[in-house]
Amino acid sequence: MSDCSTCVVRNRAICASLETDELQLLGHLGRKRMIKRGETLLWEGDPAPVVANIIDGVLKLSVNLQDGREQIVSVMYASDFIGRPFGKESPYRVTAMTDAEICVFSRSSFDSFAKEHPDLQNKLLQRTLDELDRAREWMTMLGKKSATERIATLLVELSDRLTVDGCSPTTLYLDRFELPMDRQQISDILGLTIETVSRQFTRIRKEGIIELPDRRTVIIKDRSRLKALAEIA
Amino acid sequence: MWSYHPELLAKPVPRYTSYPTAVEFHDGCGADEYIQALSDMPSGTPLSLYVHIPYCHSICWYCGCNTGAAGKAQRLTAYLDALESEFALIGRLLGGRGKVRRIAFGGGSPNAITTIEFVRLLDRITTIFDAGTPEISVELDPRGFTSEWALALAASNVGRVSLGVQTFAPHVQEAIGRIQPLADIEKSVSALRLRGIDSINFDLMYGLPKQSLQDLNETLTQAIELQPSRVSLFGYAHMPEMIPRQRRIDGDSLPDAELRFEQSELGYQRLTEAGYVAIGFDHFALPTDSLAIAATEGRVHRNFQGFTDDPNEVLLGFGASAISSLPGLLVQNEKNVGRYRSLVSSDTVAAVRGVTRDEETRKRGATISSLLCQGHVDAGASNMLPDAHMLDIFKEKGLIRQRDGQLVITDAGRPYARHIACLFDQFRTRQETVAA
Repeated sequence: MSDCSTCVVRNRAICASLETDELQLLGHLGRKRMIKRGETLLWEGDPAPVVANIIDGVLKLSVNLQDGREQIVSVMYASDFIGRPFGKESPYRVTAMTDAEICVFSRSSFDSFAKEHPDLQNKLLQRTLDELDRAREWMTMLGKKSATERIATLLVELSDRLTVDGCSPTTLYLDRFELPMDRQQISDILGLTIETVSRQFTRIRKEGIIELPDRRTVIIKDRSRLKALAEIA
Repeated sequence: MWSYHPELLAKPVPRYTSYPTAVEFHDGCGADEYIQALSDMPSGTPLSLYVHIPYCHSICWYCGCNTGAAGKAQRLTAYLDALESEFALIGRLLGGRGKVRRIAFGGGSPNAITTIEFVRLLDRITTIFDAGTPEISVELDPRGFTSEWALALAASNVGRVSLGVQTFAPHVQEAIGRIQPLADIEKSVSALRLRGIDSINFDLMYGLPKQSLQDLNETLTQAIELQPSRVSLFGYAHMPEMIPRQRRIDGDSLPDAELRFEQSELGYQRLTEAGYVAIGFDHFALPTDSLAIAATEGRVHRNFQGFTDDPNEVLLGFGASAISSLPGLLVQNEKNVGRYRSLVSSDTVAAVRGVTRDEETRKRGATISSLLCQGHVDAGASNMLPDAHMLDIFKEKGLIRQRDGQLVITDAGRPYARHIACLFDQFRTRQETVAA
């Protein structure tokens, strides 16, 4: 069971629409779980899928291509709902890119709870639509964008999603953040070589758009130019 | 004025939503051929996907589609699970070779599932088939259509919908077991338009039990008033021996062949007078609609859903009874939902029957399609021309014209387009020649 009243994502997660007593009921169904960086929460074809709220950390959803390569189909952050592994088996592998904390529900208990709570249903629909949007943007990015555009897109996304104030219902962007993943992971996410990733970081830094004081820290100096690079209107 | 030639119309002819038609499918062709065709597909091939949802909230008596009542939520969930398994399975076989341009959801009634289930299906297709910005269309049952659905469709970027209207006459609705007041249709249309979905098709029907010419006329008036961008006007096919649910319809209350002909003509007149462009033999589109534009540019094609501006040569069908169409192959999935589910859940390709298309078959298919979609074909160069006396039957009546090797269906010939096209059907003309 989870104590929802102290949950840091309680205002942003899917359960935010629930009343206190409903939240308590749902809390009984969920359990908190820590996962280590690199640990896989669900495997492709896993017959007993779960759904989960991400409390902290970054996870990736991926599929194995026929030629053995891994394709990352989505990156998920704190307050995201891992609801994609629906159906009787998980279509994706869900792996932690950083140490992470999640709140896990069995799919059947979550679904039957959701059936009785229309607010949660609506929220779930909205989340699913958001996921669809993101999946499309992701596919479009991998399909079209140049290496520079891809890196810029990821940096904009990270600054939007890695907020410090987990309780804030509105997401504020960060102009300074720690990269939650290393260069190798970034190259996997974006479908680029590690050398290209490093070159592009250097290029964007030299143009004065970002600063990189150390291997992990990113400071965004010129957000509008970064967005322009990412082709975000 | 169309002229009525009952002796020509008496011969039953296919609708040619594919060539060869489903009648020519056999179980010696199926999964193996499909798997081979998928692995032979060139990289970057533009794809259309069709997803079949064989469920409805309630079953109408006239319907010949492969459907069942959506009574048990569990059954539906199990079906959606199976669809997802099939997406994954075909996605693996494709290995990223195709590029999805269009997705069509049909049925049954895709809105028999919940909005969230629908969005999740789309989400799965998007990631598995790398479908960033496809054109999406959905068939809808106006009964049970809600503003929440309109919102979900718009948010999912669905650009085109088709509403099953059939008829507005209450006594005809009663006779086909489909009660849906005009107000329901009006509500659905305004909910869709409010969300910016303006490409709306109405399916209408003639030849329904107890449907008079006047009934159809009123339905057309009401439909035209609502200004759908497209109208499809289908003739009801009464086949109670093959479709048991149609046994609830009294065969004696059906319009006879001559009244059916008049109804079809009335539909053509009313809709073209109202500014709709006639497409093929049963579709109509406002001049601004993409189908009408395609028609002026000779880009109309025929597929399982009728006349379309979809240019993709490859259509992959998902779900029970869905048909996939590739240049050299047509295959159909297992029709029975239970057997379909057990096939895909054991990771087996569900295509169980089909037919390969050799060069001659493809040429004949292109000829038939051109006659039906464009109303003419360049038949001079081909050696497929039927016997002169067969053509003469139509020529004498002014239904076709031959000039410079072009075979043209005249305006008067429009109601006979399928019969004319059938002259090029290697599976039917031959049979007839033998019989004669």
